[in-house]
Amino acid sequence: MIATIAKGELVGAWRDGRFRLGAVLVLVLLVVAGLLARQQVARETAERDAATALERKNWVEQGNKNSHSAGHYGVNVFKPSSPLAVFDRGIEPFVGTTVFLEAHRQNQTAFLPAQDATAMRRFGELSAALALQVLVPLLVVLLAFGSLAGERESGTLRQTLSLGVAPRSIVLGKALGIAAAIALLLTPAAAVLAILLSRSAEPAAEGTWTRAGWLAAVYAAYIAVIVAGSVAVSASTRTARSALTILLAMWALNCIVAPRLASDVVHGQLPMPKLAVFEVEMQKDVMEGLDGHDARSKQIEDFTKRTLAEHGKTSVDQLPFNFQGFVMLESERMAGVVFDHHFGKLWDRIQEQDRAVAWAGFAAPMLALRSASMAFAGTDFAHHRRFARAAEEHRREFVRLLNEDLMNNARPGDHGYAAGRALWEALPEFRHEVASAAEAWRDARPSLIVLAAWLVASLAFLGWSATRLRAVIL
Amino acid sequence: MERDAAPGGDPVKSFTLELRLFFAERATWVLLVLFAVVLVYSLANGAAAGRTARDSAELVEKDTFQWATQVREALERQALDPRQVAGRPTSALLPPAPMPALAVGQADLLPAHEQVSLWRLEKPSEGRSELENPSRLLAGRFDLAFVLVWLLPLFLLAAAYDLCAGDREAGTLRMVLAQGVSPRVWIARRAFARGAPVLVIAVLSVVIAGQIGGAEGVGARTGFAVLVVIAYGAFWLALAALVNGYARSAAAAATALGSIWVLFVLVVPTLLNVVVENLHPSPSRAELVAEARAAASVAEKRGNELVSSFYRDHPELAPVGMQGDMMSRMLAVQDEVGRAMDPVKQRFESAILAQQEVVDRWRFASPAIAMHEALTDLAGTGYWRHRAFRVQVETFKDQLHAYYSPKFHKRAPLTKADLPNFPKFEFIEESSTAWRSRVLAGLAGILALAIAAGVVAALRLSPRKLAA
Repeated sequence: MIATIAKGELVGAWRDGRFRLGAVLVLVLLVVAGLLARQQVARETAERDAATALERKNWVEQGNKNSHSAGHYGVNVFKPSSPLAVFDRGIEPFVGTTVFLEAHRQNQTAFLPAQDATAMRRFGELSAALALQVLVPLLVVLLAFGSLAGERESGTLRQTLSLGVAPRSIVLGKALGIAAAIALLLTPAAAVLAILLSRSAEPAAEGTWTRAGWLAAVYAAYIAVIVAGSVAVSASTRTARSALTILLAMWALNCIVAPRLASDVVHGQLPMPKLAVFEVEMQKDVMEGLDGHDARSKQIEDFTKRTLAEHGKTSVDQLPFNFQGFVMLESERMAGVVFDHHFGKLWDRIQEQDRAVAWAGFAAPMLALRSASMAFAGTDFAHHRRFARAAEEHRREFVRLLNEDLMNNARPGDHGYAAGRALWEALPEFRHEVASAAEAWRDARPSLIVLAAWLVASLAFLGWSATRLRAVIL
Repeated sequence: MERDAAPGGDPVKSFTLELRLFFAERATWVLLVLFAVVLVYSLANGAAAGRTARDSAELVEKDTFQWATQVREALERQALDPRQVAGRPTSALLPPAPMPALAVGQADLLPAHEQVSLWRLEKPSEGRSELENPSRLLAGRFDLAFVLVWLLPLFLLAAAYDLCAGDREAGTLRMVLAQGVSPRVWIARRAFARGAPVLVIAVLSVVIAGQIGGAEGVGARTGFAVLVVIAYGAFWLALAALVNGYARSAAAAATALGSIWVLFVLVVPTLLNVVVENLHPSPSRAELVAEARAAASVAEKRGNELVSSFYRDHPELAPVGMQGDMMSRMLAVQDEVGRAMDPVKQRFESAILAQQEVVDRWRFASPAIAMHEALTDLAGTGYWRHRAFRVQVETFKDQLHAYYSPKFHKRAPLTKADLPNFPKFEFIEESSTAWRSRVLAGLAGILALAIAAGVVAALRLSPRKLAA
């Protein structure tokens, strides 16, 4: 019986010209979004590779100079994009793509793509994720609002019930029919996206397919929640019109209002530090030490005394290595502790905010879906942080190698020392791999919990609405 | 027989009757209260954003003032080496927007001040005025512009989606028509009675936004914003009337209007983005950075040669013995690289300008785009005011360079007498004709769309066609 009803609903959806129109529109948007995004990611990858190669050339051919000066000359590294950014660009347009790595300083990533675009970009970028998050739920609402309330109004529900069909079969059949119609629409879109992904220029990073599988799962769960909820609302309202009003209001709250509202409210509760304050405090701690007791000059003085005592010498020029290089190493280490503290606090705050928004998904499932989607696509802040962290580790390693060279190869007190191409070539190039699927899964955990709760709750609501299915509601 | 006959012979009476009917429904009150709450929240958000902008601006001003005082006091004691003064960057500040509570626009993304120094090769910097969670930038702010562009149509449609479709469904439409009422007048009256309360609240919120932290002369901007909001509202009401001319049931009207909203507010803007970005893609920042460094290293190697050729061209600036020191050499090198990179940097500015021009041309593809552009323009947080700032900063860089560079090379000491001549950055607001003409074009476009929808609706809403 359930199958018959589901089939009837599916056929009905297909015969509905408006659904066909909507479905075609969504399908076209999904495919066009995928194609364009792939083109864009390919272009950006090519640009980045060219820039990386040129930067390496700049670095290697910088000429002979003091190895610490080379640390000041520094190097730029560029953020690789995640293969699944084709599906969901996430925060990519709003974080920098370039980090300048140099001695003494941990820089923030610079150049936000959104700054090189018009304000229109923020109206909404066409992406497959956006179509699935916003447009498909609307399509579900339009299919589902009349599914039971409409039959109730026209009296056919009374007939069906009087034939002795179990209410559960009716409700479940309707829900499955609508789900099948949406699945029929999305399967070709998913196939096209999968083909695009498998034919991307670069070999897919490890875990890409696992991530894609998770993406499919979370979107399926989200759409299931919308289908079940919509049919349940239609089962519980007197007229199709009131079902439509309720469902459209819920759709607008979930898809349009919630994202902005949640991020504004969370920001109010967990504010970001002011940039000026952040920089001043960090600089102060670099100069005075984290505990604020020992001025940097005092720390260096102590360090000098300690070093001299350890080697039993009275002057730094008597040490068996270049003391200047040794001090640089030590001061980088001290500054590193300060940077870790301040950037750690800043990034923790951003992630706290993001997690709070994901938990706010209990009020609007779109919030949880969005954050899970970005996590599995590798385009959320957690992934950006991994890149920024990797770049900083690379910076420290490369500055350390330069300072060690100065320490070991420059004669004590020699100010004319210059290293050359051999050293520049010996320094490693920056490589960054996208995190494993397991890590993305850990990032997405709050959103997964929220989505699972929604799935259970909406199915329970659907079941409950079946037990109360009436031919007429007064 | 286009006569407004009984039961509504007196137009004022009929209008008040429609209003009373509308307000008799509990749903109406829920709708209006909800709309008011949303507006108040968005105003509070806009006000907070305006305060943040003012605070940051004050901080920059304070810093500039302190440095100016320090220099003045030092100059009163003795003459200074220009290198001590010119090396430190000067802040070029974009003052807070004239009507910040109306729209946050790009203010959370684009820097409101820039550090300008004699050294032309800046390191890639964060380029932002504030630390911000990127997810928040992605989501956008819950500001008044958001409520007016996205939600106002939804509230209007919720109030006015069923102008006669429900009557047709219930079979009462023929009855009404049989009384000789002109359907055009009747539906227009209904649309107006249901739309007006929503629009009145919206207009009120715009007026309040003008009062919150607005700059001088905000009255004209407020006036334009009110007109734009009314035109936008008229468009959606006309659309509701048009759809009601066709829809067989209230639910069908709601579905159709909802879909049109999605098309205009969600789909068309994203498609326009695609067009814009494919017509005028932005160049690559990564390549710019790498190219600038390549150019720098070439210039670096030619450093001495650059300085001597510079002194050959400007013998009056050459120090004794024609030998530039390291600082002069650095300046010459940076100037050379800066000159080489200027056209490359210019490509970014031209790409965005070209993009914006396409947006301006196509903004009427959706009244939501035109509305959004007009509101951010009026708030002073859109593209054009920030562009004016960037252009002025570039000019200021040249001024600063023209003033300090010769003194730097000559090492001519700065004295107290030079103090009034120091280049200072002062943002010059766009002329009001510039923003007015843009906003007027937007307003005219939205009005034209509203009138077009109204005319088509009027044609459809003839008694003969309706009864059919």
